[in-house]
Amino acid sequence: MPVFEVFTQPRMGKPFEHGGNVVAPDPELAVLYAREFYGRRQESARIWVVPREAIMEIKDPDLLNPPAVDRSYRSVAGYSVRDTLRATRGTVIGSQQPD
Amino acid sequence: MIKELTTKPLHTLLLALADDEFILGYRNSEWTGIAPMLEEDVAFSSMSQDEIGHARLFYQMLEAETGTSADKIAYARQPEEFLCCRLMEHRRLDWAHAIARQFLYDTADHVRLEALTRSSYDPLRNAADKIIREEKYHLLHGDMWMNRLAMLSEDSRSRLVASLEILWPDALGVFEPLPGEADLVADGTLPSTMADLQIEWLAQIAPYFYNLNLPFPAEQDPETRQYRATVQPVYGGRRGEHTEEFTELWTEMTSVYRLDPEAIW
Amino acid sequence: MDDPNRVAEFTAYVQKGGKVEVGDWMPEEYRLGVLKFVEMHANSELMGVLPEREWINRAPTLKRKLALTAKIQDEAGHAELLYRVAEDLGKTRQQMLEDLMAGKTKFHNVFHYPTFNWGDVAVIAWLVDAAAIQSQKALLDSSYAPYARTMQKICWEESFHIKHGYDMIITMMNGSKLQRDMVQDALNRWWAPLVMFHGPPTPIEKDRDLYYRIKAKYNGVLRQEFLSKYIPKIFELGLTIPDPDLHFDTAANEWRYTEPDWNELKSVVTGHGPMSQQRLEFRRLNYADTQWVRNVLLGEAA
Repeated sequence: MPVFEVFTQPRMGKPFEHGGNVVAPDPELAVLYAREFYGRRQESARIWVVPREAIMEIKDPDLLNPPAVDRSYRSVAGYSVRDTLRATRGTVIGSQQPD
Repeated sequence: MIKELTTKPLHTLLLALADDEFILGYRNSEWTGIAPMLEEDVAFSSMSQDEIGHARLFYQMLEAETGTSADKIAYARQPEEFLCCRLMEHRRLDWAHAIARQFLYDTADHVRLEALTRSSYDPLRNAADKIIREEKYHLLHGDMWMNRLAMLSEDSRSRLVASLEILWPDALGVFEPLPGEADLVADGTLPSTMADLQIEWLAQIAPYFYNLNLPFPAEQDPETRQYRATVQPVYGGRRGEHTEEFTELWTEMTSVYRLDPEAIW
Repeated sequence: MDDPNRVAEFTAYVQKGGKVEVGDWMPEEYRLGVLKFVEMHANSELMGVLPEREWINRAPTLKRKLALTAKIQDEAGHAELLYRVAEDLGKTRQQMLEDLMAGKTKFHNVFHYPTFNWGDVAVIAWLVDAAAIQSQKALLDSSYAPYARTMQKICWEESFHIKHGYDMIITMMNGSKLQRDMVQDALNRWWAPLVMFHGPPTPIEKDRDLYYRIKAKYNGVLRQEFLSKYIPKIFELGLTIPDPDLHFDTAANEWRYTEPDWNELKSVVTGHGPMSQQRLEFRRLNYADTQWVRNVLLGEAA
């Protein structure tokens, strides 16, 4: 029997989370059972049911977390405003910035 | 006890509604752990909880009317004081029987509830509004299974047809005229007579049976176009007339309660 | 044969907290270990339904009826979730059910014992569920991620089971003499199976489930946690525990109890408990009765 993955949205507007999966002989029953296993306790505002075969996975760490090159230019942690201010204070013309 | 509980026709109606749900809920919970698939264990259990929850709502309305607690109403009566229809009394047989019974009851109950959403009695109208929404799931489940049993194989079809044949006379009993019904219709508590509701029910489900090519034991009057059953309905439930199977059910259901009726559990 | 280097790398990975997903490479020993562990868990949830299901119909109030129905529904649901996890490891649900019914695989000791009265229902709902939750919490960090996630869902659903069980116990202990006696009688019968619940004190070095972090805590630790939490509550209610040697060893900071007969446990879980055969037979009969439904849905491949 085909496997269907179930994604649940715990509250309106929130991101969908992977809840688990169900087996069913056809999509109609899959939807019914998804409601039973992932919605019978009113724990979901909305549910998506997807055949497992429709899901494509990326898990290669070289694609997702390659180690070599410094990529801090595109992360918040790559910027220290304090360091920048210290380095540039002397060259700002006309500025009367307090220390 | 029933005399104190049904001093008005309204009480009889509430008790009938409650008992139908309570006893069906009982039968459905007999599938716990032994349904054809675990998925159906869970599904039938959800429906059973809905039904017992609805029964509780109706028992609580009767409690508000009479002062007797809902639990006492549910557990302290004798078998002949229950007003459920005979459809619920059949003990658990096979899956086709369970699906057929559920479908017949849920579609009949839907017609009854729809009328009650127009009841002049506020608590009933409010309850019917809520209940009818919960029953959507039951109708969805029933529809899926009726389709599959009717269409997927000769074996499943013949089992379904055999079960329906056994159950039709009792299903018609959902609409057995209630004692004191005329008053309820007159003051709008019950917007239609049970007889009219039965005609409406038959009209609503006829296309379903024709589409699935299942025998439909009703025909249309050539002039009025109204449906009437071609099998004898089994009545008596609304007057407390039940079978041996019901007494067995009652004995089991009240066995712990009767150890000490005054105890708090 | 698995490449030993790969196995070593994998082992280091899971021992450091690494997680494994469906379809990832895993040593055959790991795959079989998780499968066996999860399969027994699934079997236990399924068989756990049987001692309790007859009491739904006898529940003495509307609220208790609803609560018990919901609790048992959860157990059937948990069986489904767990069989799903196991199935993704390479054994079909049909095969697992057939092995269970043929007595080839095991299920937890507590579900091999009979229930006699409403006191049993209350004790099971409170203490058996409590023992189970103790184990389940320790699985929340399992190296096999689908299992760990299922444990989270199970723990969430079970949170009302214990409250419901405790509520029933308190109500009865504050009730009539008949009710108090019922609870004490049930506890007298369930105590020994409860002490055995978390399993024998297998030497840690031999525990492969711990080795691969399939489970994170040792049996003995789980048992002590359970006893520490619940013995005081049991005494608080005015109940007695049928073990004259039960006492707290303050020096060792552990509860001491009459050592269970671990041979009895082994015998029970291999199908020789008082209700084992009866319940398996019941399952077999029902499975056979409903085979036609599965055939309809799946074609004759069912």
